[in-house]
Amino acid sequence: MESQAPRVSVEGFDGPLDLLLELVEEKKLDILTVRLGDLADAYLARVRAMAALPADEVSAFLALASRLVLLKARSLLPSLEPIPDEEGESEEELRLRLLEYAIVRERAGQLGARLLAGERAFHREGGTVELPPRGGEVGALASAWSRVLALASRQREEDIVAPGERYSVEQRTAEIEALVAAQGRMSFATLLGDAPTIGFAVVTFIALLDIYRRGVIDLAQDELFADIVITRREATSAQI
Amino acid sequence: MTKNELGRIVGGTPRAVENALAELAAGYDGTGLRLQRSADEWQIVTAPEHAPQVAAYLGADRLRLSPASLETLSVVAYRQPVTRAEVEAIRGVNCDQTFYTLASRRLIEERGRRETPGRPILYGTTWEFLECFGLQSLDDLPRALSPEGALVLEGARAPSDPA
Repeated sequence: MESQAPRVSVEGFDGPLDLLLELVEEKKLDILTVRLGDLADAYLARVRAMAALPADEVSAFLALASRLVLLKARSLLPSLEPIPDEEGESEEELRLRLLEYAIVRERAGQLGARLLAGERAFHREGGTVELPPRGGEVGALASAWSRVLALASRQREEDIVAPGERYSVEQRTAEIEALVAAQGRMSFATLLGDAPTIGFAVVTFIALLDIYRRGVIDLAQDELFADIVITRREATSAQI
Repeated sequence: MTKNELGRIVGGTPRAVENALAELAAGYDGTGLRLQRSADEWQIVTAPEHAPQVAAYLGADRLRLSPASLETLSVVAYRQPVTRAEVEAIRGVNCDQTFYTLASRRLIEERGRRETPGRPILYGTTWEFLECFGLQSLDDLPRALSPEGALVLEGARAPSDPA
């Protein structure tokens, strides 16, 4: 059930037509032939039994009650019949509304049954698929690999010669930030220097990612495996 | 995605696309997927038969609607496009709240305005409505009524115009 909706509902009835239809069905009457005025008493009894409700909710019920009472009065005193051009609807108009409402209620019931059965569909969540970037070339991959190999062999020599230096990401972050602040634009290769050890490269890269995450710099790479260009983001466009 | 979009992408006539869609829809029979159509929009969705499993996987809650909301929704579904005043005339009660509820659950949406005095907003059902009720398209709305209901429909064919 919806919690937030203050529905126009009285004792389980979703409005005057609902109540009237309920009475017709309770008494097993034919909606097409029942004299609606005959239901006036039962309807009034129900409305009277309603707990104190906001006036605007009750008014709709009362409007229909008065209509029913009038229909009943007419049927009891046929001489009342020719009241000229009375305001409001005739019995047939009211019956049509009731018929129409009966269909709505039946269809609402059918829809509700579908909901209850839970046989619903689901679409695929998550939007578009990220395809791998275009422009990948075997040549570029091969040359990148050879650079890695060169780097690795150099590092191995250093390993033998001296124990690896220790770098801290915090320290490297501060260094890079200072450089970027001073130069505005530089490349990843420059940051790495001539013969970086793997440890130094990793720390530099992580530091760079951290600075990027904080919105201080922009990163760009023209093609796959190419050098990364670092530019200082303008103060105005920095993320808050 | 719309039929025209599809036609533009594959370079086929609307006719050919339609045939291909029908073929695709037939091909999905018994596969757990199916095509759903709202006006001219097509989308692949899971088959309602497998809703319990998909819902369990997604952790989706079952949609719950009050009888009042369901009534309003059914009037909108079967009579769309329809104004709120028309729905209220049929239901005999104020429908502000149920319209709000249905719109916030994206089951109904605005469909322009009727070119009559006051230019009232027209409402129709949404894509999500079809999905939530497991309908392949609006043609799939349950049409059959109980014997009494069918009789009633005959009686109510001429719509009344309550003030």
